[in-house]
Amino acid sequence: MVPLSYYLILSGILFACGVTGFLIKRNIITIFMSIELMLNGVNLSFVAFAAQWHALSGQIFVFFVMVVAAAEAAVGLAIIIAVYRTRETLNVDQVNLLKL
Amino acid sequence: MCAQCLTLFALNSSLECFPNSVANYIDLAPMPDNYFVRYLPLLIHFLVAVGFASVVVTLSWLIGYRRPSRAKMSPYECGMTPIGDTQSRFSVKFYLVGMLFILFDVEAVFLYPWAVILRKLKMFGFWEMFVYIAIFLVGFFYIWKKGALDWAAPSAKRGEV
Amino acid sequence: MHLILFLIFGAVCVAGAVNLLLQHHPIDSALSLVVVMGALAAEYLLLGAEFVAAVQVIVYAGAIMVLFVFVIMLLNAGEEARSGGSRIAWVIGVPGMLLGGILMSWVLLKHSGTGQVEVGSLPGSPQDIGWLLFHDFLLPFEVTSILVLIAIMGAVVLASHAQSAEKKEG
Repeated sequence: MVPLSYYLILSGILFACGVTGFLIKRNIITIFMSIELMLNGVNLSFVAFAAQWHALSGQIFVFFVMVVAAAEAAVGLAIIIAVYRTRETLNVDQVNLLKL
Repeated sequence: MCAQCLTLFALNSSLECFPNSVANYIDLAPMPDNYFVRYLPLLIHFLVAVGFASVVVTLSWLIGYRRPSRAKMSPYECGMTPIGDTQSRFSVKFYLVGMLFILFDVEAVFLYPWAVILRKLKMFGFWEMFVYIAIFLVGFFYIWKKGALDWAAPSAKRGEV
Repeated sequence: MHLILFLIFGAVCVAGAVNLLLQHHPIDSALSLVVVMGALAAEYLLLGAEFVAAVQVIVYAGAIMVLFVFVIMLLNAGEEARSGGSRIAWVIGVPGMLLGGILMSWVLLKHSGTGQVEVGSLPGSPQDIGWLLFHDFLLPFEVTSILVLIAIMGAVVLASHAQSAEKKEG
């Protein structure tokens, strides 16, 4: 028996780590990985709440989040490649113009 | 049903092959339906994998001869001394294949729970998966026509269609 | 037993997440993210979501992270340039975050009124998941295929632009 709040705190910590990485990292790929970390934190709270209220739809939601994450990773990384081809850098501080 | 049979089987067989003390310990654990015992085969599998890998690496490290010389330590034992970065860039083609792998991996993951309950869903299940795969196939034909799949296409054709 | 396993895997999770922040090279961050995802799969198993755990390993740790590592190698991403954050971020941000975290944990632990979770309390077997997915969540399921179709097209278009740029370069 583990209190649900333990799971929620763990998911909160993961989400906070993701936000922190999003803010302090300068490499665009690492920033993207921080977003994945945030998604994982949210997934954990979905599964924990599903277990708490015996509602399986929480786990279905995790599936949809995973599908969205896969689509997002494919498109996002393609965008990163395109950015790198035009800017020759992965540092977000140097990608600060809307136009080339 | 079948999964439960398998689980029971795994439970029985894993309990039989263990000394009494381990079985007692597992029985004493205060949880319904001996949840952890169910994943004991997984744990054993994991331990065997980790153990085998570490034993092999450690043994080769302990037993193997190591007589490093300057020629052996150089990246190439003959030819020119290498210049520049050792990491070379990969072509975008690798990325395309990886990306398509992800997206069709997602499709395959959805196929699994569908296949398990296909009989319960009857024809309805067949048609919903038909629509799903048909939409995927549109994407598949798109990348096919786009030339993302032919590895050694003539360079003029690729990317400009 | 449940609590011990939860704490072990939770510690692995948090350690991986913190390591992701501390590492300078993106490939190290990617590998620590794989550790986080593996440990999270174990947490899902503790909650009984066995199929979700398997999909977590297959899709997240197996496919998405492979793509990340591919891109890191593809772009030959090196050490990350550090901009040593502003002082106000250290003075206000870090204590503020710690304070917020402690406050949130305190509220969750003492005043949330959420109950206890038994180990494996909601077994999410493939059968149950499939029934719900193909019966109750039919429309979202079909819509995901359109989403993935759009993702395929978008990624191919973006990548083929990059490829033609590669051709021009050399």
